[in-house]
Amino acid sequence: MEQQIQQFGAGPRELYLPEMAVITEVRRLTELETLYTVELPGGRDLGHKPGQFVEVSLYGIGEAPFSISSSPTRRGSFELGIRRVGMLTDVLAGYAPGRKIGIRGPFGNGIDVSKFTGKDVLIIAGGIGLVPMRSLINYVLDRRDEFGRLIICYGSRSDSELLFPDELAAWEKDPRTEYHVTVDRGTEAWTGRTGVITTLLPGLALDLPNTVACICGPPVMYRFVVMALRGRGLPDQNVYMSLERRMKCGVGKCGHCQINNTYVCQDGPVYNLPDIAKLREAL
Amino acid sequence: MAQYFLEQARVADFVAHLLASNTVYAPHRKGSRSYAFAKADDPAAVVLDYPRTLSSVKKFFLPPREVLLNFDLTLDAASVPPVEPGNAVFLGVHSYDLAAVRRLDFNFTTGNPERNYLARRDGARFIGVSYVPDKFHFAGSVGIDPYDMTGCDMFLTKHADGWIVDIPTGEGSELAAGFKLEAHDEPKPPRAHFTQHVFVPQARLGKVMEASYDHPVWNETADACLGCGTCNLVCPTCYCFNVQENVDIACTSGQRERSWDGCMLRGFTEVAGGEFFREKVAARQRHRVYRKFKYISDVTGQPWCVGCGRCTASCTAKISIVEIVNRLIRDSERDESILT
Ligand SMILES: Cc1cc2nc3c(=O)[nH]c(=O)nc-3n(C[C@H](O)[C@H](O)[C@H](O)COP(=O)(O)OP(=O)(O)OC[C@H]3O[C@@H](n4cnc5c(N)ncnc54)[C@H](O)[C@@H]3O)c2cc1C
Ligand code: SF4
Ligand code: SF4
Ligand code: FES
Repeated sequence: MEQQIQQFGAGPRELYLPEMAVITEVRRLTELETLYTVELPGGRDLGHKPGQFVEVSLYGIGEAPFSISSSPTRRGSFELGIRRVGMLTDVLAGYAPGRKIGIRGPFGNGIDVSKFTGKDVLIIAGGIGLVPMRSLINYVLDRRDEFGRLIICYGSRSDSELLFPDELAAWEKDPRTEYHVTVDRGTEAWTGRTGVITTLLPGLALDLPNTVACICGPPVMYRFVVMALRGRGLPDQNVYMSLERRMKCGVGKCGHCQINNTYVCQDGPVYNLPDIAKLREAL
Repeated sequence: MAQYFLEQARVADFVAHLLASNTVYAPHRKGSRSYAFAKADDPAAVVLDYPRTLSSVKKFFLPPREVLLNFDLTLDAASVPPVEPGNAVFLGVHSYDLAAVRRLDFNFTTGNPERNYLARRDGARFIGVSYVPDKFHFAGSVGIDPYDMTGCDMFLTKHADGWIVDIPTGEGSELAAGFKLEAHDEPKPPRAHFTQHVFVPQARLGKVMEASYDHPVWNETADACLGCGTCNLVCPTCYCFNVQENVDIACTSGQRERSWDGCMLRGFTEVAGGEFFREKVAARQRHRVYRKFKYISDVTGQPWCVGCGRCTASCTAKISIVEIVNRLIRDSERDESILT
C-alpha cells in the first residue's frame, strides 16, 4: 500500500476514502428534515464555498451527496440539512450526537462569491433548495457590507414544511433582509401568502443590471423561475442555479451526474444560466 | 525497423516463452463461437487469429466488480484495499482495443486521476495482433488501422502461415529476448478491407450530432431497443460505474464495491423523488451515441468509439451504431444541401 502510493509520487490521492467526522448536534427541522452539525477531526475547517456538497458515508448502508448548508464564515464545523427519502437518510434520521459519519469533499464548483460583491443578491429557494441556499444567505449576512440588497424568496409546499423557522423569523425582522415566503397550500394556521414561488417575483422591485439571482429547488421549478426572471428582464448572465443529479462518486468518474456534455459534480452543481441554457437536458 | 517472422507452429512456444517470466493475458476460445481475454496458462489454448473478444482488455484495468473500501462496522472504520500493479503482458490485442485503452487512460487521468485504474494499468505491456475485419468492424472509419502499432511493445501481423513481428519498443525487445526469431524483410501483406463504414470523419461528426438532437432516429431506435445496457457493458470505452455496499452475514464488516453501469439503463439517472433525467429510451440512445461521437470528442477531437462493432454484434434488437450515425450524416447533409 505505502509502496504503491510512493510509486505514484505526489500522484493520485485517495478519491474514495472518506474521513471520519462526528455529528455534534442534531436539530429536527420538520417531520422529514433534520439539520446535522458535523465536525472534522480536530475541528478542522471543511474549507468549502457556498454551493458545494459533500458525500456522506454510512458504512454498510452507502453514500450520498448533500449540500453544505452552513456558511464558510461559520468556522469549526459545518451543517447538513437532510430530508428522509430512503435507505441512507432513514438510518441517518436515527443518529444522535456523538455518532460518526464518513465525509468526502467538499466537491463541486460552488458559488464564486467574489462575483456577487456589491451586487443585490436575490435568492429563490423552493422546498429543500433552501438548504444549500442557506450557506450563501448566511455568507452574505456575515459579510453584509460587501453586498447590496439581500432578497430571499422562499416557497414551500405547506407551512408545516418550512425549514429553519428561527432563521426565517430573524430574516423577517432584519431590516437589511427582504424576506418573502409563499406556500402552495397552507394549513388553517397560515396567514401568509399562498401560491407557487413564481408568484413572488412580479412584485419585486429590482435594480436589474445590479442583481444576481441564485435558484435552487425541485427539478420542475427551474424552468418556471427562469421564465419569470426573463419576464422581469433580468439578463441570463445574472442568473445562477444549483442543479441536482444522481451521483455515485462526486469526482467526475462514475458518469451518473452528466447533463449533456457537463458533469454536475465537477462543473456544477452551480451553473451560470448562459452556460446551460443551451443544454437540452439541463432544465 | 527490423522485422521478424513467427511461424504459426511456434506460437505456442512463444507464449510459453512469455509465460516463463510474465503474467500473460490473451484471447481464448469461449464456447463454440466466442472469444475472451483470460489469463494464459496453457500456451496451446491461446488464439491469436480471432474476430473480436466478448469484452476488451478494459476488464483488467477497470474490473466488472471492484472493492473500493473495506470497512469494519464494529470500529466504524474503512480502509482502501491494496491494488496490485498489473505488470502483465497483454498478448493478442487488436488495435482498436488498444486505442480504447488510451481513451480510458484519458478519462482516468484527467480531472481527478484515479489510483485504482492507474495501479492496475501500471506495467502493462501490449503485444498487438492484426485482424481481418468482419461484418461488424468499422475501426478504419474512426482512424484506427488494423495494422496500427501505437502503444504496442510488439506487433504481430498475420501473414500466410505465421506472423510478421515488429518490435517497436525496448520493452518489446525485452519480451522477445531469448526467443529465436528469424529476420523477415518482405513487406506486409495488404490490409483487408472493412465492409462497414461511417461516412464522414470525426471532424464533421460533431456538427452532424449538433444538428441531430431531435432527429427521428432516436425514437425509432427506441421502439426496438430493450434498454438492456448490453451495448454499454461490451463497449471498450464505456467506464461509468455504480457503487454498492455489501455487508457480511455477521454484520461486522463489509465492502463498498463498484461495478460497471450503463447509461442505457433506466435507473441510471434516477434521483430521490422519483425523477428520471433520461427517462425515455430515445434520450438514452442519444446520450450513448453522443458520448461516443460528441461530448468527449468535442474536447479531444477524437471519436470515443473505436469501431470494434461489439455493441452492434451483441445487441438482441440488432441496433447498429453505424446505421444510426450514417443516417444522421445522410440527413444532416441533405438538410445542408437544402439550405445552401
Ligand atoms: C449535489 C447534491 C446535493 C444534494 N443536497 C441535498 C441536501 O442538502 N439535502 C437532502 O436532503 N438531499 C440532498 N440531495 C439529495 C440526496 O443526495 C438524496 O436524497 C439521497 O441520495 C438519498 O439517499 P437515500 O439512501 O436516503 O435514498 P435511496 O434509498 O438511495 O433512494 C431514494 C431515492 O433517491 C435516489 N437516489 C439514490 N442515490 C442517489 C444519489 N446519489 N443522488 C440523488 N438521488 C439518489 C434513488 O434513486 C431513489 O429515488 C442532494 C443531491 C445532490 C446530487
Ligand atoms: S444492447 Fe441493443 S437493446 Fe440493449 S440497450 Fe443497447 S441498443 Fe438497446
Ligand atoms: S460504441 Fe460500439 S463499436 Fe464503438 S467502441 Fe463502443 S462497443 Fe465498439
Ligand atoms: S458523481 Fe460521478 S461523475 Fe459526477
